[in-house]
Amino acid sequence: MDNGTNSSSNSFNSSSNGTFEGVPPPQPTKSFWTNLLLPALYLIIVAASLYTFSSTYRKRQLAKTAKLEPWFPHHRQRDIYLSLLHLDPSEQASSGDGDSEKKLSRVPDSVLKAALLQRALEDIKRIVQLRQAKPALQTLLQRGSVGDELWQRLLRAEQEMEAEVKDVVNEANAFAPEWGQVIFQSANEMNQNLLIKQRMAEIQDTLESEKAWWDKKRAVIQSDFMKELEEADGKPAEEAKAADAAPVANKKNGSSDDDAVIVEAGGPAQAQGGSGKGKKKGKK
Amino acid sequence: MEAPDTFLQLPLTIDPATKAISSADSTLSADLDDLNKLHRTLLALETPQQTPPPPAPVHPKRSVQINKLRESGNASYKKGDFSGAITLYNLAMRMASERPSWEASGLVREELSALYNNRAQVHMAQQNWAEGSVDAECSVELKRVGNLKGWWRRGVCLKEMGRTEEAADWVKTGLEFERVGPEKDKVAELESLLKEVNKGLEKP
Repeated sequence: MDNGTNSSSNSFNSSSNGTFEGVPPPQPTKSFWTNLLLPALYLIIVAASLYTFSSTYRKRQLAKTAKLEPWFPHHRQRDIYLSLLHLDPSEQASSGDGDSEKKLSRVPDSVLKAALLQRALEDIKRIVQLRQAKPALQTLLQRGSVGDELWQRLLRAEQEMEAEVKDVVNEANAFAPEWGQVIFQSANEMNQNLLIKQRMAEIQDTLESEKAWWDKKRAVIQSDFMKELEEADGKPAEEAKAADAAPVANKKNGSSDDDAVIVEAGGPAQAQGGSGKGKKKGKK
Repeated sequence: MEAPDTFLQLPLTIDPATKAISSADSTLSADLDDLNKLHRTLLALETPQQTPPPPAPVHPKRSVQINKLRESGNASYKKGDFSGAITLYNLAMRMASERPSWEASGLVREELSALYNNRAQVHMAQQNWAEGSVDAECSVELKRVGNLKGWWRRGVCLKEMGRTEEAADWVKTGLEFERVGPEKDKVAELESLLKEVNKGLEKP
């Protein structure tokens, strides 16, 4: 009997150990959570600091690039084009004619196309400038003569340029199908023609000064020659003076005298010219 | 450059009758002049959309006219009518440079180079060495290689004016360009000119 009760009480005890029903579970020891607290706190602090650092750093970079001075001056042609696009001429007070037919409801397409072409032309000029500047700036940067900021400005200008080009192509396609591809070819040719005209104008400008120089020199040669013709035997002093009076720009006369002589002075002077020249050479 | 989504609204006005653009702001006047000129040339276009055609296939009308003027200029020169030749050449040059600016610039270069060469020749025949040298320089500027005559002409003009060092440098540069060009077999003329010029340098 006792064994039975013992075993039953034992089994009771053991069964009660198994289920935990009537008894509230013992608290997990506080030290478990406090143990977990420190690493968790550490992780939270690390994550928070990384996040703040990255966001502040990115904001600062953005601010720096925004503060970067633009590479090119203001794009005038772009402003003209966009202003025309948004212009509403019906708002303008008509000066003379009150005819409603003459009032434009919007700026005509042809004007816009011309403005877009001008914009493309300016873009081409800028692209050429950028392409020339880039390798030079790279070399300078490698040698360490310039800071990084200039390079950043150049890169930014290139990015803006690409966006601008895409914009122009889209606008061109809006006016006429496939004009987008052609417009930059046309603008390129326009640029080349402009350069040709400028170069020709430069060279032709030198014409005036060249003509003046040559006329002066020819006058001097002629006067020298006339003097030599007057004196039959050619006095040394006067020849020396004539030799010194030659133009200050110390270009040698050499054979040119022969031609000038033959053309200007005519036949009989030739023989005398030859003798006069021989004497002149003696003095040099 | 400003941000891509902003722009500066400029105070522009358009004249309804002439469709010319003008502005109160005087700094824009040069740009607006160009714009109005371009607009007028665009209006004269015959293409369906009134947009400039691609630069490559150029309408031959203008080239034919320029050629005709050049030929008549050559004829006047051969007859000895120098001033008439110059007038014709000038007219041809004006035609060539007033071509619409979006047409192929290579064509403009060829035509102008030939015309400048011919005009230089006329000047040389009249012994106007200064004008001749400037025109020959223009011609060479437009066409560096394959332009033996241009190099030669300016060399001769410089020599005649007595500028022998410049002439020697010029002819040497010309030889460098032409030796690798399409006319490299004909450089003998240029070489003989160089010899003459060098002789002139060594004389006194």
